[in-house]
Amino acid sequence: MNNDREHQVTEAFVSLANSLVEHFDVVDLLSGLATDCARLLDIAEAGVLLADRRRVLHVVAASSEATRSLELFQLQRDQGPCLECYRSGTPVVVADLGAEAARWPEFVERALAAGFASVHAVPMRLQDNVLGALGLFGREPGVLLTARDLSLAQALAHVGSVAIVHSSAAADRVAIAEQLQGALTSRVVVEQAKGVLAQRGDLDMDEAFVVLRRYARDHNLRLADVAQDVVSRQLPAQRVLDNTSHRSAKPPGHAGG
Amino acid sequence: MTGDEHLRAELEAAMTDAGSGVAAANGLCVACVDLLHVDGAAISFMHDGASQGTFGSSGELSRRLDEFQFTYGEGPCMDAVSAGRPVLVPDIEVETEVRWPAFAAAMLQEGVRAVFALPSAVATNHIGVLDLFRRAPGPMSPGDLSAGLLAAELAALPLLNLMTADVDWAGVGDGSTAWAELASLERVEVYQATGMLMEHLDVGPTEALVRLRAHAFAMGQTASEVAWKIVERRLTLDHDGAWRPSGEAGSAP
Repeated sequence: MNNDREHQVTEAFVSLANSLVEHFDVVDLLSGLATDCARLLDIAEAGVLLADRRRVLHVVAASSEATRSLELFQLQRDQGPCLECYRSGTPVVVADLGAEAARWPEFVERALAAGFASVHAVPMRLQDNVLGALGLFGREPGVLLTARDLSLAQALAHVGSVAIVHSSAAADRVAIAEQLQGALTSRVVVEQAKGVLAQRGDLDMDEAFVVLRRYARDHNLRLADVAQDVVSRQLPAQRVLDNTSHRSAKPPGHAGG
Repeated sequence: MTGDEHLRAELEAAMTDAGSGVAAANGLCVACVDLLHVDGAAISFMHDGASQGTFGSSGELSRRLDEFQFTYGEGPCMDAVSAGRPVLVPDIEVETEVRWPAFAAAMLQEGVRAVFALPSAVATNHIGVLDLFRRAPGPMSPGDLSAGLLAAELAALPLLNLMTADVDWAGVGDGSTAWAELASLERVEVYQATGMLMEHLDVGPTEALVRLRAHAFAMGQTASEVAWKIVERRLTLDHDGAWRPSGEAGSAP
């Protein structure tokens, strides 16, 4: 490991570890986890799936929109390596997706079309509970992560899991389920807030997210808190939109709507 | 079939066989008594963080106990809604003087010692509470508790039906199961479309979800399918409540 990479790996862990003691935002945290994986490991993109109390999986973070879409596709079609990883609680490694068309016909077709050729899926787990799965997608067929990198991915997933649950006392199943539900709840509110902003400013959902996140960062607030204020109308949507348009000097919204 | 799947199927059947609305809620409550080692169950309807009253029950006593909470303006059901999490009271006698003096006294008067209030929520909207009552004090077993949480989840559907009085939910028979419908309501595109409707119609998240679901029902589509159309701006809702197609037709991913 060269010094630069070692530094980056350290940074990633420090950032995850800090979230354990500081007030943190789980959506931000998991987005960071996905981005860290994509940057540190020999893969192209990463996505995070978390299960709710009914064991229904949700896409909570992804390093790109294409990855989010592919993860969502797995959930919609109920097939794919990340689902298998979640259900078995063990890593699923596929060096060449093209050879697995029989296993997941629809997923493979979609993944190849999106330019992905390999997948590593590692479980997000805490004690005996599987919370979700971290999916790592590569663009070159036949290129597998080294054992060391796979351990690094698993370690990042572990720390992410601990951070989600965020309570050393949360030993029992009900407490873990509650913490997890809290994480998913903030995801719901963030998505609703994106909808509010998208409608108000005639933006697509990605643009709405950028606007929301920028407001949170500019005001040093948690993303989930800003989203909650937008949804409950304590913070006017227009003010959030104006914050971005003032910074970028781009007109707020565009024609139509 | 695993134990969990079996339980899900049984709870769902109890509700489906009963029909819709109050009958479904009653059916679910009766199933709770059969399956969860409790003596009574009732579902209360919540709106805007305030209780609107008892909606379904396993019998007369449960209904009366549940209604005591509204009479006195206190009880585990109210606390479960304001906290957004289950309130488990293995022995009300311990709580008599502390949390809900009037409600606890009424419960003891009826010979009921334990009460478990489990919130019913869809996409973070707390719309009701499932109250479980038991004569004998003591905690719920972990298995009964997770089964109770499942029943509380299912209770959301008759509660949502209640909020859409102008739709004939008795006609629901599109083959989709209650669990599938709940899963469809908790998808990212539904959250996003809900946000868009909130802004467009100036309504709260629960009403936006209710409007979206009613349209999905009318069109014979899932909430998720309607949500994609809204997100992709292929469908908008007029202020007067009429849906109309709009813009270019796109394709859902």
